[in-house]
Parts: sequence; C-alpha cells; structure tokens
Amino acid sequence: MKSSIVLVIFGLIACSQFIPLVVAQDTGDGAAQIEVSSVDINPGVFFEGDTGIVTIEIVNNGQDSVAIRRATMYDADISILSSSYDTTTNVGAGNRMLFTFTIKADVPPGIYYPSFSLDFRDAGYLRYPVQVRVENDPLEISVLNKPDSYSVGRKEQIDIMVGNPRDNSVGSVIVHFRGAALDPAPSSSFIGTLDPDQARQVSLNITPQESTKLDIIVDYKNGINPHSSLVSLPIVFGESKKQADPILSNILVEYENGKYTLTGDVTNAGLEVANSVVLSVGDGAQPVNPYREYVVGSLQPDDFSSFEITFLAENTSQVQVNVKYRDVDGNPYQRATPIVIPPKNSVKERSSGISPPIIAVILVSVAVIGGAIWYSWKKR
Amino acid sequence: MKGMLPLLLLRPDAFFSERIKEAEDLKIPGIIVIIGAIIAAAGAYLLSGIYTGLFSAAAGEGMASVMGIISAISAFFAFIIIWWLIFSGVFYLLSMAFTGSGTFRRTLEFVGYGLVPVIIGVIISAIVSLYYLPMVEVPVISNIQDPAAVQRVMSDILADPAFREYTQISSILSVIFLAWSANLWIFGIRHARALSFRNGIIVVLIPVVIFAIYTLYMAFIGTPFIGGS
Repeated sequence: MKSSIVLVIFGLIACSQFIPLVVAQDTGDGAAQIEVSSVDINPGVFFEGDTGIVTIEIVNNGQDSVAIRRATMYDADISILSSSYDTTTNVGAGNRMLFTFTIKADVPPGIYYPSFSLDFRDAGYLRYPVQVRVENDPLEISVLNKPDSYSVGRKEQIDIMVGNPRDNSVGSVIVHFRGAALDPAPSSSFIGTLDPDQARQVSLNITPQESTKLDIIVDYKNGINPHSSLVSLPIVFGESKKQADPILSNILVEYENGKYTLTGDVTNAGLEVANSVVLSVGDGAQPVNPYREYVVGSLQPDDFSSFEITFLAENTSQVQVNVKYRDVDGNPYQRATPIVIPPKNSVKERSSGISPPIIAVILVSVAVIGGAIWYSWKKR
Repeated sequence: MKGMLPLLLLRPDAFFSERIKEAEDLKIPGIIVIIGAIIAAAGAYLLSGIYTGLFSAAAGEGMASVMGIISAISAFFAFIIIWWLIFSGVFYLLSMAFTGSGTFRRTLEFVGYGLVPVIIGVIISAIVSLYYLPMVEVPVISNIQDPAAVQRVMSDILADPAFREYTQISSILSVIFLAWSANLWIFGIRHARALSFRNGIIVVLIPVVIFAIYTLYMAFIGTPFIGGS
C-alpha cells in the first residue's frame, strides 16, 4: 500500500511538466469562448467634432478563464483618444468585462466602423467593428404664433416649438430669449431631455421699446458636447390689424353761451376692445367746463357711445379731438381727429318770432271767443 | 238736437236752463268727451312722429310705432280724466263751499257740454302742430342705453326753436279756448249746483285760472312738456 502511494506521487511529479501545455491549449481556444455581449455609444449619434464614449462589454461563455493581453480600438477616420488596455488580465468562466474608449468624430457625416480588438495572451484575437454614426442635424426651432405687427410698449405673446429631428436624445435643452429693449418674459425656458422626433412648445412675452430683433437660442448637449440652435425674429413696429380703432362720427359743433359744444359718437371700428376711452380737445382749443373731458369707458368692437366736449377756440377754424384709450394690457394709445368748427357768428339761428299766420289764428280765436263770451253775457 | 251747438256756445245760460229741466243724461256729454279724447290722441300721435327718427336708429322702427301708440292711448285717457273727471270733481267740491245742490252726475253732464270749446282748441292745436313739427330738427340718438345721450337728445328737442314755439302757441290757444269753456262752465255749474252768478264765477275761475297759469308758466318759463295743450 505504501509503495503504491509513492508510485502515484511520483507519477504526478513526473506528469506535472505537461500541465501548462494543457492550459495553453485551452487558452488558445479563448477567441471561441469570448464574445461581445453589448456595445454602448454615448452619444448615440455624433455631431461632427463631437467627443463620445464607447463602452464594450465582453463575456466569457467558456468553462475556463481566458487571459487577455491587450484590448484596443482603432480606425482610420475616427480618432481614439483613450489608451489601449495593455495589461494582461484574465476573464473567468462566465464572467464579463467592460472596455471603455473615448473617441472623437472629426469626420464628415456618415457611418463609421472603428474596430474593437482583443488580443489573447496565448493565441488568437477578437476583432469587432463598432458602428458610429455622425449626423449634423441640429434641433429645429419653429415659430408657431407671433403678432402681425408690434407697437411700442405693447406686450405681445410669441409661441415657438423646439423639435428634435435627430435619431438620439439630446439633454439639458434650454431656450434663451435675447434682444435689446425687448424685456422678454420668461428670459429662458428649461426643457431638459428631448427624445428623438419629439417637440416641446414654449411661449414668451415681449414688450418692445424699439425696433430690434429677437434671438431665440436653444442650447443643448449631445452627450457631453454643447450645441446650440438660433433663430432670429425681426421686431418691426407697425399697425396691428386687430387693434381698437375709435372713429368719430355724427359730429355737431355749436357755439352757445360763450363756448363751443361738440357732440358726437365714438365707435370702435377695430377688432379688439378699447378700454378707458377718454375724449378731449387738443391743439387749437382750450377745454372749459362742464365737459373739459368726456370719459366713455370701455368700448367693445362695433360698440359706440355718445360724447360731449365743451371748449373755447379763438382765431381758428379747426381743432383736434384726441381719443385716448388702452388695450387689454393697459398699453396707452391716442388718436387725434381734426374737426372743423363754425365761426361764432354763423351759429344756428334761434327763434325768429311767431309767424304771421299763427298770430292771425290767435287773434281770430281771441276775437271769436271774446265775441262769443260777450254775446253770451249780453243775451243771458 | 238741431241748433244745440250754437245755443251752447253763444247762449249757454239759455242752453243750460233748458237742460236742467230735463232728466240727467250723460250720453251726449260722453260723446263730446270721447270725440275730444280721440282728437287729443290723434294730436299726440302726430307729435310722437318726431320720436320716430329719434329712436329708429337705436331701437328700430317698431319701437317708434309703439311709442306713438302709447302716446295716443295716454292722451286719450288723460283728456277724459283731466278735462272731464277732475274738473267736474273740483267744481263739485268747490261748489259745496257755497252750499250748492245738485248731483255730481249733473255736474259731469254740464262740464261735458262745456268741453266743446276745449275740443275746438285741441283741433286747432293739432292743425298748428302740422305747421311746426316738420321744422323741428330731431337729433338721432345713437345709443338708447346711454342715459346721458337720451337726456341730451331730449334736451335738444325741448330746446329746439320750432318745438319751443309750438309749445308756447299751443299753450296760448289752450288757455284762450279754456276761457271760452270756463264761460260755459260758469253758466253750467250755476244751474247744475244752483249757485249765484258770483259763486258760479268763483267756483269755475279758481281752478281754471290756476290751470291756465300753470300751463303758461310751464310753456314760457318752466320746463316745457311735450304736448302743451
């Protein structure tokens, strides 16, 4: 029994020099055991010049560990910024391992296939092409709604839509509104992540004080790379098609009791309400009591109201009637209408006396009735 | 009936002294009053024509027609109530102070007869209105919802020279023919309430003079009212 044990030990010692050869043979089949389980590219689609990260996961599907001598990525067009994995390491049976490479897409738009290379220590290698797409489509900015024209100090609303035409999500999307003397509110709007083929609506109000342009800037990140889109909107002052339009009509001017009295109607011929409508005389006239000014108040579209103004005017045949009003946002407006006034000596003639036929009727009536009464008393 | 009207207008004493002998009968006075009321209503309708342009722009032609009808109906009943019932009542009450006798029905009958001159005056006023009303410049009211505009337009109408002159002439005619009616009423009340001439004159002239002064005051000094007759 003792001798048999010695023989076994001896046999094992004698065979021990062959064991490494057996492992080497197994490692030589490493390429067959290792496969790429997943590839992650961030960002999913590059802009030209973008820097990104490629993460490759491998898995050892075999029963034995595999020794890896070097892992690298290379391509003739795509720049690989990170170094290779040059340290020998083992991937145990059933284990996974991640390799991360930083790449820079200094290439025109297109589809590229940089290769992931895995060299095994003992024998064989693995080559795996990774698809990298490069597109230069920026976020789209659409102006959905804007005024036909702008007025000084009048608040107007503008609606825009920010859309993502790319095949990958972009993050940290922020819309900035910039322009001189525009007072945009809000000054910016945060959207966040915008998925592919998605769009978000953003509204802003501006109160322009001068003709200028509104820059709508959308800042966003594609992976770690900042980008921006810009749309400029000219802000040009003009007359709104819908604004209130007070029109004076049925004007009657009379000079009486030492002052002119102007009566008429003011009609809102516009499409928007006119608030706080006040009428007064302007150049060429001096307002006097009792109607120095006439407050009409609110005038809806197609609504009208009568008014009366009293004033003095010397050495002029024309005065200005000012109509002041405000829109729904309180922005003030003023319109002046020239009114021709009659001279003081041609005012409407008043009573010119009772006409002769009427006097005759009265006299005849008096005579007849007087006679009848006299007769009735005489003959009683 | 024949010759009744000249007798009434020229010899009222003889007329009422004959009527007092007969039974009380309101048929003929009633007809007289109704005729007067119809003429007054027609005059009011004519007068309302000036409102047609006033309200047609703001409330439509229908509104103006309705106002004319309302004016006519108001004038019809106002004539009956003021000229017949109220004057009869006042005469009856005043005559009680002079121990007058006789029924109120008889007073109504004789006051009704005495309204004939007033009716003649109303007819003449209506004819005169045909001369004056076309000369009235009626402003168009633009917003009937605006009280200031309505008030201003009404003031303009009342201040119109032609309208004001018509109101004054109408009031003068009204007072002149009222004097004639008063003359008839003096004889009528004297017989109806068995009063002396002196008391009959007092009973009739007190309300008549007051009414005449009021009418002239409103036409020439106070705020003129539409349809001064």
